[in-house]
This record gives sequence, structure tokens and C-alpha cells, in this order.
Amino acid sequence: MIIKDAVCPFCGCLCDDLDVEIDGQRIIRVQNGCTLAESTFTGSTRLQAPIRRTASGWEMISYDDAITDAADILLSSDRPLLYGWSSTHGETQSFGVHIAELIGGVIDNTSTVCHGPSILAIQEVGHPGCTLGQVKNRADVIIYWGCNPTEAHPRHMSRYTTFATGFFVPEAQRGRTVIVVDTRRTESAEIADEFIRIKRGGDYQVLSALRAIVRGKGNVIPNEVAGVSREQLIRIAEICKNAKFGAIFFGLGLTMSAGKYKNVRNAIELTDELNRHTKFTISPLRGHANVYGSNEVFTWITGYPYAVDFARGIAFYNPGETTAVDILRRGECDAALIVASDPGAHLPHSAAAHLAKIPTILIDPHQTATTPLCRLQIPCTIAGIDAEGTAYRMDGVPIRYKKIVESSYPDDADLLRRIHDRILEVKGA
Amino acid sequence: MTELLVKNACVFDPLNGISMDVMDISIRDGRVVESVSATAEVIDAHGCLTLPGGIDSHSHVCGTKVNFGRYMSPEDMRAGRTARRGKMHVTSGYYVPTTFGNSYRYSTMGYTTVLEGAMAPLEARHTHEEFTATPHQDMMANTLFDGNWAIMEAVQKRDVKRAAAIVAWTLSAVKGYSIKLTNPGGTEAWGWGEDLTSIHEPVPNFNVTPAEIITTMIAANEFLHLPHSVHLHCNNLGKPGNYQTTLETFDLVPDRNNGRQTLYATHVQFHAYGGTTWRNISSKSEEIAHSVNAKPQIVMDMGQIMFGRTMTMTADGPMEFNLYCLHHNKWSNHDVELETGSGIIPVLYSKKSLVNCVMWAIGLELALLTKNPYQCLLATDNPNGAPFVKYPEIIGLLMSKRYRDEEFATLHNDTGQRTIISSIEREMDWNEIAIMTRAGQAKALGITPQGKGHLGVGAEADIAIYPIRCRNVDPSTEYRKVIEGFQKTMYTVKRGRIIARDGEVIVEGANSTFWVNPSVPEEISVATDPEFVRKFEEYYTVRMGNYPVQDVYLPRGKCIRTEVLP
Amino acid sequence: MNAILNTGRTISQGMAVEHKASPGYRAAVSVCYINPVDMMDLGIEQGARVTLTSRAGRIVLTTRATEMVNQGEVFVPLGPYANHLISAQTHATGMPDFKGEPVDIIPTDETVKDINDVMEEIGGVRYDH
Repeated sequence: MIIKDAVCPFCGCLCDDLDVEIDGQRIIRVQNGCTLAESTFTGSTRLQAPIRRTASGWEMISYDDAITDAADILLSSDRPLLYGWSSTHGETQSFGVHIAELIGGVIDNTSTVCHGPSILAIQEVGHPGCTLGQVKNRADVIIYWGCNPTEAHPRHMSRYTTFATGFFVPEAQRGRTVIVVDTRRTESAEIADEFIRIKRGGDYQVLSALRAIVRGKGNVIPNEVAGVSREQLIRIAEICKNAKFGAIFFGLGLTMSAGKYKNVRNAIELTDELNRHTKFTISPLRGHANVYGSNEVFTWITGYPYAVDFARGIAFYNPGETTAVDILRRGECDAALIVASDPGAHLPHSAAAHLAKIPTILIDPHQTATTPLCRLQIPCTIAGIDAEGTAYRMDGVPIRYKKIVESSYPDDADLLRRIHDRILEVKGA
Repeated sequence: MTELLVKNACVFDPLNGISMDVMDISIRDGRVVESVSATAEVIDAHGCLTLPGGIDSHSHVCGTKVNFGRYMSPEDMRAGRTARRGKMHVTSGYYVPTTFGNSYRYSTMGYTTVLEGAMAPLEARHTHEEFTATPHQDMMANTLFDGNWAIMEAVQKRDVKRAAAIVAWTLSAVKGYSIKLTNPGGTEAWGWGEDLTSIHEPVPNFNVTPAEIITTMIAANEFLHLPHSVHLHCNNLGKPGNYQTTLETFDLVPDRNNGRQTLYATHVQFHAYGGTTWRNISSKSEEIAHSVNAKPQIVMDMGQIMFGRTMTMTADGPMEFNLYCLHHNKWSNHDVELETGSGIIPVLYSKKSLVNCVMWAIGLELALLTKNPYQCLLATDNPNGAPFVKYPEIIGLLMSKRYRDEEFATLHNDTGQRTIISSIEREMDWNEIAIMTRAGQAKALGITPQGKGHLGVGAEADIAIYPIRCRNVDPSTEYRKVIEGFQKTMYTVKRGRIIARDGEVIVEGANSTFWVNPSVPEEISVATDPEFVRKFEEYYTVRMGNYPVQDVYLPRGKCIRTEVLP
Repeated sequence: MNAILNTGRTISQGMAVEHKASPGYRAAVSVCYINPVDMMDLGIEQGARVTLTSRAGRIVLTTRATEMVNQGEVFVPLGPYANHLISAQTHATGMPDFKGEPVDIIPTDETVKDINDVMEEIGGVRYDH
């Protein structure tokens, strides 16, 4: 049986045109998706049952015991950290926030090591963006800055930009100019009409130079800015000003390099400047399928998109202080709940190491690099495969994950609801 | 079976002709009934002002652009924060509160029903998720059609039935309530960074004018028998001289409905400017009110601004960009493919700014010059003009010439030369305020059949009891008591449950979302029209099958079905 | 040899990211992409192993030559190997220096650890099933 228009739960593209073929409760083939989708849907190594670490090793335990243990750990901690959230669906994220509020903990999501700096920049200067269909239908100039979509968002170019046909761009690639800006010549750069190679750390300068040229102050630009020639800079600025609709997409090249959110801020301000000449938008390429969902859910409940600290009884936000890496680095948390993410693999190890020192609960369907660090792992459904729920695409469009197959795993939303209710019960007493 | 008896309520129920009657209200299982048994819970209103629950007919509280406004403004989140307390979750935000913040603050003010001002169909799911997290108000969504490609195509072909079929499909797919047009045609032009300057200027690439969009959609709306009329944010918002556009627009409106208006013009203050530049801007409220007074088919809301900081957020992308060019504040923009746009930017309305003072005066003038209070409702286009927590102050201004004069004295010296507010003697009375804040909204939105906006037998028991002994308070002189009284109810009752007491929300909410499922004859339905489907799949970036909002998002949805004329 | 470390996503890392116990994942992320000229300067061939040392830690990786990396830089896919080298300092931004960390590269005969060894080095206990 083929399930049509399934939604892929891997990356921020949130492609919803996959045809997934199943045989009973087994997924056997995925059509229309990229290789990342293929491995997401057809991979099969999942943890069988909850496991708990004891002095003598690991033992399997029941879900009921696991939930009681998890609630007890959270109840007896002074400063719990609830981290992750990007790979699960909205209802689970909501429960996470409510648990954090209940126990006065800190809740953070993976934006913190991904597009957190983009959020900081947006909080300084705003975000002139649009949905992906605007780009598909109108953009004749597309700039990929500090990102490599062929590796991390393989169908971005075919669904939304370079290779997509749009209402106003019926000739697709022939009607679009694609510019790639990076420190190294990536595969994305190979497809570009124009490649700008920047010296590492030079994004900020190059953005400033472009802004100056767009404002008519090109005469102050020296012959070379961070390895980019003045001539190329002027040419790029002209292309942008003459665009009918320009779309900038940016990634971790800006957020992770020196300057962090200042790089992104400069790119946004360049976009603002270009809007005085023509239509220009800028958007972050969100990594995980539903990391934006965690930002949205956190925000409408608490007011803040990540790094929210409830210890004072109010929602408190101070990136650098209430962000997961900093809390872990300072050894500040005395318990952790990790849901739908893998800090063992994706956080610096001097921070991840702290998870091994404290009681850490991991709610994740797979054995991950965090498994060895935790005290208790509870496997659950995978949103988009055996659980349905809301996800927010990188441009904010909300799409509902389909449940492709049934499984006996509990939905992580249910697990969290039970933990929440148990905590409420104990606290109420 | 749960019963509640409200004793000694000093009731104003304009839709039932009740004015300052001290009476008891009996409630059983969430509805007003003739009488209840002796075992009913009893609350005593002590002769205080008792009104049907407040209804906000235009407020931006839920959805993509509202949430944008929140997360780009941590400084506002910090300003309005409250701690977790009892049943109440933490809240953040002063101009753009979090969803629980909105819900608790509305409850505290006695508001029980809200129409979300703008929902882009593509992002409806987000709006519905936030509706559920605004648990103490029944919600409805104004659904944006101003830049809708399929609609503009139908308008171009002068095909009213086609437009109606698209509206019907879309509203039922995304569980919207009504047709919203924001800067019709202008939001599509903004897709290219442009705007329209007249209602007769054609939309680039689509060859239709705003006037044509408006008239076609009005015809479609009436053909479908939707409970609310077309809800319009006129073209040229905020531009000096725009009152001409507004009057031209009003002149387009036929009288097509016996039960309610044929056009709801929203936040008209922003559309009532004379002059040609910021330097000579003036109030044209008289001209606008004159037009509305002669046209029972038009209802407007004030769009009152109040001084202080706030956040502007509308689907009117180009207007927000203009504000950015003017003020250089942080600016966000979010155009939605095939549908509409939006922009967000913080503003400061200052008494030192003559322009802002003129704006302040215009909103009040519109209300005071409109003869029939059902035709000019109280709203601030929350949060664009001011956060809704300022409604009590606006009530104070409408009821008291003295208060207006005291405020006027603190404004820019030249305000009097551009406005007529200081010459208006009229003071609204309790009954008129009750109309402008609930009865009028219920009628305009078409929700009286749902039991909203009145307290007659069969009505939903949404009740606000304000600590104002209205028989003993003279609003003209004791406006401070009026303002304080409207800020915090003694009791807010929602569907027969006491949900708030003296500013404290005491139970978990269980709101409903009202939505409309208009049916159209099979032969014009677009769901199976191959052209409609083909274009949808080709130009949108989501699949048509994934677009509709699933039932699970409306746990207590209330569907209103409509039928077309035979 | 001194170089600047860049970390990031790759397709093979992404494909294996939900199977971190697998050899495929380890093969994808315990790799250090180096410019061929730098490889020559280090005197090593494709597939040779090197230790990378930063202020935060030290790890052994397998090399792979590619023109797509500039001289003086190395690329390691994001994952537990790369993160052994990244400091947890965020300069009050919440974001560590995932790109731009200075590292020292030395050829080695040491073997590349498996993931469980890496995680045990920071205090974990492997789950072998």
C-alpha cells in the first residue's frame, strides 16, 4: 500500500510530497524523497524497551517504572534542564514547556546550537521574510550564504528555488541567477551562476561592503574585502539591485562563525537596504524538521523562542546564561530531560560530559550518542512515522505529520503527559 | 446538571431592549434559562453593572504574525510578565502577550469571545493551535483573501459564483469564520515590493482592481449567506488624504442583507485622514461619519490609538515597510504564497507628535459622530492602535467630555486646528457602551443565533459583572471609577462557569472555535475542478491534501453550515 | 600542522544520524577532510590517520583528501568526534565556536575510537545490544 503525500520528518524543508510504500506495518520504499528521507523512513534500529542504568550495567524496565523514575528524578532536582525537542511534534513540545514551568526548570531547544544566533539577530533588527512559495513563484535571484543545501537540504533547490518552476519563473533555472557565498567551493557552489569565496571570518566585512555599495558608497570599498575582489562585490550588488525578487538563504556559516548573530544581523540589514530598491527577502535554512516548531510553541506559551528559565516563577530569557551549553558547561543543572535530540553527538563534549554526572533521562526512539550518558532511556514513537502531530517548516508553514505505520511504542506526547500528571499529583499533595 | 443564579444584576442587554434593570439571571448547563432550582450556586452582583460577555470583533492575538511579534520582542515579553499563580500559567508580553496572557487579561476585563483579525489560510493550523492555548475565549478567524490568486482570477472573469466556491472551499478547509480583505490587491503587489494607490488601480499581473475585488467578494459573501459580512481593511491605510479612498470604497457597498451590515470596515481611524502630507494631515471623521450615518449597510470599528508604545502587525505588508522607512525600527515581513502578506514593526504614539494627536482624536470623533452605536464599535485593532487592556480608558473617554477635555489639554498645541474633538459634547451612556462592546459585535459578526451578545433565555451564559454601581455613578464626572470598574470584573462567567473573580482566573479553560462550512452546488465546487487542483499543486509548496486543517485542531469546534440561495 | 577546524553537515552523516551505533555513522563522522597540498605537507596518504588537538580535547580521525577544503583548514562532519574538539565557551551567545576552532594536526598510528569509547571517555557507560 502506498501512502501519498507523506511528510518527511528529517530536515527543515518538511517535504510533504513523499509516497511511502508499506507492507503491513513495515516501510519498504520511499518515492520522491532524497537520500536523507530514504534513511529516515526505512531505517529500523530502534530501542526495544526502556532501559535503566544501574551500578552493574543496563537493565530493561517497564514503561510504568520508567515514567515513575523520570518524574521522581525531575521532582527531586533543584535545577533541571529540559533540552532537545526538534525532532518531535508540537503536542510533545507543549508538554515539555508545561513540565518545565511546573518544576521551575530551564527548557531549551536545538536552536541554541543552530539558528539561535539568527533569532538573536531577528530580535535586534527583525526578519523580512516570506513563505517558500513566494520564492518559488517569483525569485529571479537566489543567494545561498554560508550554507550547503546539496548536503543538508538536498531538495531545497528542486522544490523551492533553482530548479523549481514558478508561476512567474516558468523556465526555472534559466530564469534564475544563483549565487553561492562560502569559504570553500562546495557542491552547492558548483551549481551556482556565481560563487563568492570569502576568507574565513570575513562574512561580516563582505556584508558591510555590499551594504555600502547598495547605498551608493562603493567608492569607500578597497580592492579586496576578505578575499573578495571589489569588482565582484560591485557586480553582485548590481545583480541584487536589478533583481525583480531576491531571496537570501543562510545557514550555519553565519551563525557559527566569529561574530555569530552579528553576521546574521548584517545580512538582515543588507536585505532591508535592498528593499528600498526592489523586493528582497531573507530566511534561515532551519536544520531539523520541527526545530521551528519548538520556537513557535515555546513562544506562544512563554514569550521566548528558546533558553527559557522558570526558576524564578516567571519566564526568564537570557541567552548566554539560560542556554543549554552554558548551563551544562557551568555544571549548573542537577538533572536533565533530553527529548528528541542527541546532545551527546551535537554539543561540545565538555558540556555533554556533565550529562553523565547527573541523572539524565533520554526520551528517544534510537540508540544515540546520548544513550551512554543517560541514566534512563525511554523509547517512543517517531513523529512522522508512527506518530502524527504538527510540525513547522523552516518558513513557518505548519504541516501535520502523518502516521505511516502503527507501532506499540507510546507517543512521546503521552509519555510526557504522564510524567507531567505524576509531577502535578505529587506536587499537589 | 450545573446551575448558577446571578442575583441583583444591573443588566444592560441592548439586543433584548433591557436597560439598567436590576434582575436575576438563571443559568443551567451553560445557557440562560427562565429559572433554576434551589440548589443552584448563587452569586450576588450587588446591583452592579452586568453585561453580556465582551466580544472583540477585531484583534490580533493568534497566529503566525502575532507569534513573530512575540519572539522578535523579548523586551516586550519582559515588560508584561507575570508569575505562575494558582491555575494561571506564567504570562509574558505587554503589547503582544502570550496566548495565556491574552486569555487571562481578556477574562479579567470580562471579554469572552474574540475574532482573530487575520488568518492566512496556508498557516491556519498555527492560528488554531494558538486558539486552543487561549482557553477562556471562544474564538473565530477572519480568513485572508486579499491577495488570493484563485480569487483574483475569478474576479477578473467577473465570476461571482466561482469566487464564492473558492471562499466556500477555503473556509471549510481551514475552518475559518469570515472573509477578510486587507489592502485588497495591495498585498499581491507587495509580493513585488509595490503597492496600489487607488481602488481603481489594477493589480500588477492580475488585471483586477481593489474595487472589483471588494464588490465581487461582497456578492460572493452574500451568495453564500455567511454569518458575517466582508471584513475590510481599506486600501491606503495610514496615508494623508486617504479618506477619499475610504469614501469611494464605502460608495461601492450595496445593501444586501436585512439582518446585518453588508460591509464591516475595520479600524477606520487609520483611514480617515485629510491633507496631503504629514505636515498638513487633518481629521476627516465628519465626512466618514456622514457617509456611514447615511448607509445602514456599513458598520465600522474605531481603530482607536492610545499614547505609548505598541506593536503594529497587519497583513498590509507595504504599509509596515513604510513605517520602517519612517522610524527605522526593527521590521519583520512575511508574505504568504498565493494568498496575502504581513508586516510587523513596533511604534510609539507620542503626545508630542501632532500626527499622533490627530489620530487619537479621529478615533473618538468617529464613535461620537456616528449616530447609531451599532455602526461604530469599540476596538483598537489590538495591538496596532493600543493593547486591548486600554479599552476601559477608551470607554472613559467616550462617556466623559470632561475626561476628553483633560486629555486634550495635554496634547500638541495645534491639535485643535486639525480636529473637531474638543467641540463634540456627546457622551455615550451605559447602553451605548454595551452596544459598542458586545451587542453591536454580536450583531455584526452574526453570532447572536449562537447565543452570543445577549442574555435572553437560550443565550450562552457569558456574563461580565463589573464593580460599578451604575445607578450611583455619573460616568460624565466619575470617569476614573468607570475606567477602574471596566478593568477588572467582579465575576466573569463563561458558559455558566465562573472563570474569573477580581482579576484572578480560577479554572482551566475549555473554549470553542466557531467556523463556517458554506455549501455550494456540486457543479460549481472547486474541490473537484481539475484546473483549480492543477494550479494549487503547481504553485503552492504544500500538497492540496495536506492543506486542510484536520478536525483534531478544534477539540470543541462549532461548525456553522450555510446554504446558498436556491 | 596548525589549521582551522570547520564542522558541518554532510549527506552521509545525515543518512546515518539516526543509527549512531552503526559502522556507517562512525565512518561518516570520524573523518577529517584535508586539502591534498596539506596532506602532502603532512607526509600522509589518503586514509591515513591523524590526531587533532584543540584547547578542548584530542581525537583521532581518518583523513580524506578533497579540493573542496582550503589549505590551512580542515572539515570534520558534525558529531561526537568533532565535538570532542569544540570548546563549550559561547562568548555569552549560547553558541559554541563550531566553526573556526584552531587545531593542531599530527599523523598517528593510533586507531580511531568507536563511538562508545568516545562517549565513555566523557563519563558514559556503553549500551551494547
